[in-house]
Amino acid sequence: MSEPLLKVKDLEVIYKTDLETVQAVNKISFELNKGETLGLVGETGAGKTTTALAILRLLPERNARVLGGSIEFDGHSIFDITEKEMQKIRGEKISMIFQDPMTALNPVMTVGDQIAESLILHNLEGRSRDQIEKRVEEVLELVGIPASRKKEYPHQFSGGMKQRVVIAMALACNPLLLISDEPTTALDVTIQAQVLSMMTELKEKLGTAMIMITHDLGIIAETCDNVGVIYAGEIIEYGTLDDIFTGEHHHPYTVGLFGSIPNIEKDEPRLHPIEGLMPDPTALPDGCNFSPRCPHCMDICKEVNPDILVNGTHKIKCHLFDDVEGFAATEKEAE
Amino acid sequence: MGQPLIQLNDLTKYFNISKTKSLHAVDGVTLTINEGETIGVVGESGCGKSTLGRTVIKLHEPTSGQIIYQGEDITNYKKSEMRKIRTDLQMIFQDPYSSINPRMCVQDLIAEPLIVNKVCKDKIEIYDKVSDLMDTVGLAQRLTGAYPHELDGGRRQRIGVARALALNPKFIVCDEPVSALDVSIQAQILNLLMDLQDERHLTYMFITHNMSVVKHISNEILVMYMGKCVEKCSSAELFKNPIHPYTKALLAAIPIPSIESRGKKNEPIKGEVTSPINPKPGCRFANRCPLATDECRGQDIPFEEISPDHYVACCKVKKEQ
Repeated sequence: MSEPLLKVKDLEVIYKTDLETVQAVNKISFELNKGETLGLVGETGAGKTTTALAILRLLPERNARVLGGSIEFDGHSIFDITEKEMQKIRGEKISMIFQDPMTALNPVMTVGDQIAESLILHNLEGRSRDQIEKRVEEVLELVGIPASRKKEYPHQFSGGMKQRVVIAMALACNPLLLISDEPTTALDVTIQAQVLSMMTELKEKLGTAMIMITHDLGIIAETCDNVGVIYAGEIIEYGTLDDIFTGEHHHPYTVGLFGSIPNIEKDEPRLHPIEGLMPDPTALPDGCNFSPRCPHCMDICKEVNPDILVNGTHKIKCHLFDDVEGFAATEKEAE
Repeated sequence: MGQPLIQLNDLTKYFNISKTKSLHAVDGVTLTINEGETIGVVGESGCGKSTLGRTVIKLHEPTSGQIIYQGEDITNYKKSEMRKIRTDLQMIFQDPYSSINPRMCVQDLIAEPLIVNKVCKDKIEIYDKVSDLMDTVGLAQRLTGAYPHELDGGRRQRIGVARALALNPKFIVCDEPVSALDVSIQAQILNLLMDLQDERHLTYMFITHNMSVVKHISNEILVMYMGKCVEKCSSAELFKNPIHPYTKALLAAIPIPSIESRGKKNEPIKGEVTSPINPKPGCRFANRCPLATDECRGQDIPFEEISPDHYVACCKVKKEQ
């Protein structure tokens, strides 16, 4: 195993307004090795995007606060460095693909200029203008757009093509880590399949590590090595693809998530959704955050927030597994 | 099998863009929808599925073709005539965030169709009916006075469902009713729609781009590509035995949430949807199709029955059979 590239430990983020405090991320921890892909799945408002923004230190300064925890990237804590140093990391070592390609591009700049922007800002190798133009053409070809289209504006591209441009921008500096925040949600299925297969190919070719944020378990199954299931700002289950998709023990929320998707390969007369709604992040319940919706809720669940139980690579945050053989609460030692 | 409720004969809807250009949104759709069944309409964005849904219940005037509702040709009904049958034909809209008035509370929103159509005698009857409807769709009574911004997407979509149900319709066009919702909420709404269908013997036209949702809810599926029907058959048949190359590509493109199918994927189809403005005759899928030859271009491809109740528009397939 290689040295972890990214180490997030006990990250806590809140959004504060005059009236209330939104507990967006509550003690999330994970590690990511070089060249690996981590999938984060969860519903709207679970804290997926907030985690990603915290890694890039792009949280809105006005109301977001990082309460605790640490993020180490490539051996350095990103909370200890200055904004100037952070700017060097952003775009060059970590880059992000945003959800909506229609709004992520500047409509009044040609796509070539937009890709060149990050190359000019992070010009470590002292490239000349011509060399930068050449690199722009290279990355455009890489994502499957003819280099001759670099002088065109975003409105001349279709949705799938725009997302390719956004990916080209993200890859221009050969980043070590790519964060993709729902990269294909705005696209049609056939285009989604094109973009995903291209991303997987590029990731293997360039050896980039990736965090794939999505709500689609199908995308996770196709692209990721490890999976974290996020619910109300906590990772409630974490493991390898095998642990999550075929393993025998699961968090009740993960079970509910799988029960909610109509399976195209099986015939089921009825879906088995999770009853109720996500808890209000301004007033999380006592004990386990999932307890109000959980079909297996016990008395202890309403009082004590469960520890993370570890079984090899598989981690589950649930009282149901307190006494199950193989699961042990080893996470505590760190405190 | 129920009686045919709605029949479409060669239904066409063009939008005129300028004097010489027209956008062929729906092109020659022939379809029979039986009572108590669900027809799923799938396709990518811009393929005309929403336009089809709106044209069926005459929210758009069709350019040509016929709409027959319960044996009566309603194609040329005037607005006043439409109003009489409007109560039977309802619609659930895609986006629960923009399809309801933010300045009306839940009770008023659900009462609105009842008031407009003057179906109740007095206020008491209206509000009794509203509270019944709220029970039916699973909205708690305490939300009567709540405004849409206080509610999440799932609850808002339940208001949309309640509004569609208010007038006891026979036929509901569901235009992507769950695509704006999270998976766990999506499943709740799908179950609700299916329960209501059983209880009230409703007929649905279910428009979506999500193949797994459509498989789950439909009896019959119509696949559209750029305004044309490319394949129509029963839901089970479509997934077991897809014939048109576009249907195959569409099915292959769905990410499947299991790791067994990982790596077994076929190459995704190349290219993108071209413009539906003044399209050339011939198969509209030809320039993305792996099987396309000159034969596919230049002449219109008939939508033919290949095996019982399985219709496909592809000249390549017929040859093989």
